[in-house]
Amino acid sequence: MAKRGPRPAHERLKRLLVMLPWLMQREEVSVAEMAAHFALTEAELIADIERASMCGLPPYQDELIDVYIDEGMVCVGVRRLFTRPLRLTAPEGFALLVAGRSAMQLPGADPTGPLGRALDKLAIELGDDGVVVDLDRPEAADELATAATSGERLRMSYWTPSRDEVTNRDVTPRAVFTDSGHWYLLADDHRTGEERIFRIDRIMAIEATGVFDAARDVVVPDARTWFIGDPDFERVTLRMPTDMLWMIERYPTDSITQDESLADMSIVVLAVTGEQWLSRLLLRLGASAVVLQPERWSSLAAVAAQAVLRRYGVESNET
Amino acid sequence: MADPLERLTNLLALLLETREPLTLERIAHELTDQYPDGEAARRGAFERDKTVLRELGITIEQEVLGGDQAGRTAYRIDRRRYELADLDLTDDERRALQLAVAAAHSDDSWGQDGLWKLGVGSEQPSLAVAARVPTFDVLPPLQEAVTSRATAEFSYRDTVRVVNPYGLLLRDGRWYLIGHEHAHNEQRTYRVDRIEGSVAIGEAGSFERPAKFDIREAFPADPRLMGDPDTEISVARVRIDASRGWHAAGELGLTGFGTPNPDGSMTVDVPCLNRFAFHTWLLGFGEHAVVEGPAEIRDETIQWLNEIVAAANAGDR
Repeated sequence: MAKRGPRPAHERLKRLLVMLPWLMQREEVSVAEMAAHFALTEAELIADIERASMCGLPPYQDELIDVYIDEGMVCVGVRRLFTRPLRLTAPEGFALLVAGRSAMQLPGADPTGPLGRALDKLAIELGDDGVVVDLDRPEAADELATAATSGERLRMSYWTPSRDEVTNRDVTPRAVFTDSGHWYLLADDHRTGEERIFRIDRIMAIEATGVFDAARDVVVPDARTWFIGDPDFERVTLRMPTDMLWMIERYPTDSITQDESLADMSIVVLAVTGEQWLSRLLLRLGASAVVLQPERWSSLAAVAAQAVLRRYGVESNET
Repeated sequence: MADPLERLTNLLALLLETREPLTLERIAHELTDQYPDGEAARRGAFERDKTVLRELGITIEQEVLGGDQAGRTAYRIDRRRYELADLDLTDDERRALQLAVAAAHSDDSWGQDGLWKLGVGSEQPSLAVAARVPTFDVLPPLQEAVTSRATAEFSYRDTVRVVNPYGLLLRDGRWYLIGHEHAHNEQRTYRVDRIEGSVAIGEAGSFERPAKFDIREAFPADPRLMGDPDTEISVARVRIDASRGWHAAGELGLTGFGTPNPDGSMTVDVPCLNRFAFHTWLLGFGEHAVVEGPAEIRDETIQWLNEIVAAANAGDR
């Protein structure tokens, strides 16, 4: 367990109020099991249980919380005080609902299974909450999730927008996840021998191979940060209208600052996944966005615009 | 002075078990030596304790006494408001909730705090499927307002809005609030991540949600459809190249493809009421998509591109 400073009284109380009712139902639990259940060190747990055993009702002689520690076990004497758990707070209720509804839309979810029943029971406590989760799962997600469970290798053709090319590769799926409106596959890529993340909507075809690899646990990353700080990606500095910042909010930025000389303009430092990606972004942003750095990209937008104009039979003046 | 955890626990036990509301003097007398002696210091310490309990979701009822104690405030905790109802969860239902919280991993501890109250531990199972769900501090109070039919007041784009909140929708990785806005007297959609500061909740039961309200349907359709429908051209015909075009079209949210042209390219009708949204979509294809008509839209696209070229020329001088 990670080291940390002394826990403040309100944190200890919060944990104690969930520990006591749980303990009272069980009457006897090992210190190790209880500490693991409540994410505490054994020393923290023992300190809190001993402190609790000094609390109760005036005059603090007979009517005390009757818990004690004996030979590595946490024990309950007489069940009294704090026998029932505290109600869910609004954030706790909200988090459970949203987690449950999200999980119901993941591959393999069974609406008639235990999660569905648990959510029905929660609804009695929480009322008509009006919360709808719409994860818009692509068809391929289920097949990929099945392979992630079985370890089956798949052959897939995958479109890489930054190079605008389609490649075939053998992968072993490890996890399927969704983040910020997109679905991703985390897989072992046998072409490079490395773990890679693929966007599922860019997978153009999937074929089973009948080859199975051993299971391997993986950590699902946070899409917004996975390539921040990766020196492999070049940076571009743009000046663009502040009211258009929403167009880049899904891309990883190092910084967004107000332009010092022009009101309504912002300076943005952005990770670039490829030159073609950047030129498309500049076309979409239009004439009011300008590349400040690096210099070799300062005419990228104009060159891309001219390429499109040629499709309309328009030749513009050379820059 | 007593350990703060001890005092808080004793205060909570006293207020839960008492048969009658207790004044602060009485509370301090019962919790011998646990509160400071001076009246101001004692009041200050008690108020801090109340705040801690409130943040844990514990409501302390207070009432003003009559009779010989007239005018004095007394406190107690209503057990029915304190205790979680017995949800009667089975072991496999608890396990399913644990897996759900692990799968919908978010940056806060709310889910785990809730699980503990339901008797579920802090184990982190390894999963092959997951959804990262964004959370914001304003979401739980908004959900409470939706549930209790209370008005919600918040600042959005520098303006204070008062809304009858009908529901919350997570779509495309973003949270939206849909409700009836008072000042404009119409249904509006708000992005929750753009709500500024906190949300103030009004009286419960202050509105009725329309009986047939369905948030999925109430959500405004494609932003390219927004605009002024009576006066503008609403659809453009776009030809997308064969190579990656049909695939990219799906990626960019275009559904209902037409039939392929003999050269393999695809011609599709695309909503374009919102010209800006239309162009940011179109130009995501680079030179692989061309507006075929109407001429007015085609001219606007050419103008958009010419302005980019002109801006670069101006920058060179």
